[in-house]
Amino acid sequence: MNPLILLAVLAATDPTPSSPNSEPAKPPEQGAQPSGGDDLARELEQVLANPSPPSATKSASGPAGSGLLNPDISVISDGVIGGWNQRPIFLSGDDPDLAAGAAGRALGLTLQELEIGFQSTVDPYFIANAFLTIPNLQGLEVEEAYAATTSLPWGFQLKAGVFRSSAGRQNEQHLHTQSFSLRPLINAAYLGPDGLRGPGAQLSWLAPTPFFLRLAAEVFSLPHDAELLTFGGASRYNPSAVATAKTFFDLGSSLSLMLGGTFAFGHAPVPDSTGIAPPELQGPRSWMAGGDLYLKWKRPNDVEGYFWLALQAEYFYRHIAPSADAASLEPVPAQLDGGAYAQLVAQIARRWQAGVRFDLLGLPESELIHRAARLSGMFQIAPSEFSRVRLQYFRGLAAAAPEQGLMLLLEYSIGAHGAHPY
Amino acid sequence: MAPKTTLLLSLLLASTAQAAPVKVATSIETFASLARAVGGDRVEVQSLSRGYQDPHFVDAKPNLLVVLSQTDLLVFAGLDLEIGWLPPLVTNSRNERIQPGQRGSLDASTAIDVMEVPTGAVSRAQGDIHPRGNPHYWITPVNALKVAKEIADRLKQLDPAGAASYDANLQAFGAQLKARAPAWSEKAKSLKGLKVVSYHKSFGYLARWLGLDEVGYVEDKPGIPPDPKHLVELIEHSKAEGVKLVMVESFYNRSIAQSVADKAGAKLAVIPSNVGATPAIADYPQLIDAILDALLKAAS
Repeated sequence: MNPLILLAVLAATDPTPSSPNSEPAKPPEQGAQPSGGDDLARELEQVLANPSPPSATKSASGPAGSGLLNPDISVISDGVIGGWNQRPIFLSGDDPDLAAGAAGRALGLTLQELEIGFQSTVDPYFIANAFLTIPNLQGLEVEEAYAATTSLPWGFQLKAGVFRSSAGRQNEQHLHTQSFSLRPLINAAYLGPDGLRGPGAQLSWLAPTPFFLRLAAEVFSLPHDAELLTFGGASRYNPSAVATAKTFFDLGSSLSLMLGGTFAFGHAPVPDSTGIAPPELQGPRSWMAGGDLYLKWKRPNDVEGYFWLALQAEYFYRHIAPSADAASLEPVPAQLDGGAYAQLVAQIARRWQAGVRFDLLGLPESELIHRAARLSGMFQIAPSEFSRVRLQYFRGLAAAAPEQGLMLLLEYSIGAHGAHPY
Repeated sequence: MAPKTTLLLSLLLASTAQAAPVKVATSIETFASLARAVGGDRVEVQSLSRGYQDPHFVDAKPNLLVVLSQTDLLVFAGLDLEIGWLPPLVTNSRNERIQPGQRGSLDASTAIDVMEVPTGAVSRAQGDIHPRGNPHYWITPVNALKVAKEIADRLKQLDPAGAASYDANLQAFGAQLKARAPAWSEKAKSLKGLKVVSYHKSFGYLARWLGLDEVGYVEDKPGIPPDPKHLVELIEHSKAEGVKLVMVESFYNRSIAQSVADKAGAKLAVIPSNVGATPAIADYPQLIDAILDALLKAAS
């Protein structure tokens, strides 16, 4: 046995008061009285003279007992009260559904989403996260449940399970990290109401460059029943594949820029005018390319104020190969279309944020995606890091009967929820 | 291959292996300064945040991943100080050496006696509190030396060939602090018993060292802006107690602290709490000098 450990064990088990000899080894209680003239020098001397305790006896201080090995558990709730004159186009699954699917005017309350998160280290090789969600009180969903490696060599990381694809920027984000109460239109229009997520695997690589460059390759088996408009039209044995690149630059002490690029390919659902196409039919080939940027201006500290400004924009361009309608067998031409959004969010005072977003679909137009535009504005206060109240207004543009709506969100987070990536 | 060339090659390999510095990353600049002091030319040190930033709220910018992916030793304050930004960076650094529990992961709070560990129920109704105790411990020379010693110990484990060098550097750093101790203690004397109000609960360790009497906090609940009622009470209380100083860390907005100081008839003392808080504070002794000078100037 290491003599130091032996000594420590003996000292710990010795029931008699410590001998005068062992007294100097204990750092003096600074709290007893404020230090005077030579006390500081003496204390410094003692720190230098004392042998370090064996490292086995040291551990990060933390809560002892039953909580020790439990995962971090959190609950995040997004409750909404609001109304709209007609059902908004391309509602995402975690958008508030104020009319339980009904088409017309609506006024009501909904629990937009309840998220239960479990996050933990698995062992020295993996971490694991599971996020279960109940969107609009419509049953439990596995939003994400995956394990990721922490120690593969050469900058690689492997992630496997159910997870959100790194395609674009907003797709990877959970509802509570978004600045608006409705996801951008391109989410539901191109990636499906649930976004591009499903059972899959991702291999990513952090390039050994002086700046940040991360490349990722992902494969997903997207279930047939998901209303994916670009992918998910193949059997489970024909997965969709995604490749993404992300890079980041610090442009001075206050300005930073993150850029992303996405290329994805797979099979689109079979064109089906009757809705009775058998699920095993394989749809036409499809691919999607996109770019995203996140430009943020924020001072390194709050001395001169709390203002910051962030611009976020994404564009998706999609191609679906020519095919034939499953029911009528009429030829369906190739579809080429695109969509984008840009949003500007500012922190205007401590705890107060305001933002605008412009959504544009049909850039270019196709038979599947027609020109549509929407303008949204939001204003929010966050009483603390763990709660916020947000008022959001949206209005369709350039339509004969424009959609419009107003909603008030209360979001709160309880428990231990891991920090989010940039 | 000629024997001479082989010898030359092996010598070259040996010398490059020895010359490869231990790469140290720290969450705050003060720890970077301590690591440089004890590591000398055997280490290459980089801080993830700047001394003029709030260490609670550093943006987890992806370029920090680039640093962490190549780090041999990560030194952080722990006690949940960096919980809002550091853990996902460590996880995604793909660097096995610095994962929690590895030798390259050093929670510096294990070296010190932690103050203000909450007892009883811990709730966020009390604000954004640190449930494991006060993490602002590096602004006393004794704690800084303890952390420096811990860093030296860890460097010795990671780079045994440099053990003698790390020991010598630590002794030299300790001697440097000891040499300054009488002057610091002299300055501290005139601050003893001074009644102060702190903006954030950042100065517990400093107040204990200097014998300052902290009679209140501008941030009633840590991390949450104070409500006016609390400020009115604090100002009245400060007047009654004869508070001389309102202390605020240099990275905070000063408007509220300034108005409390003005109304309570006290002076505002802007305290640099990290090496690098201003360009003039380049190492640890300069940080202590700057803190004491800021206090003395405001108290005079």
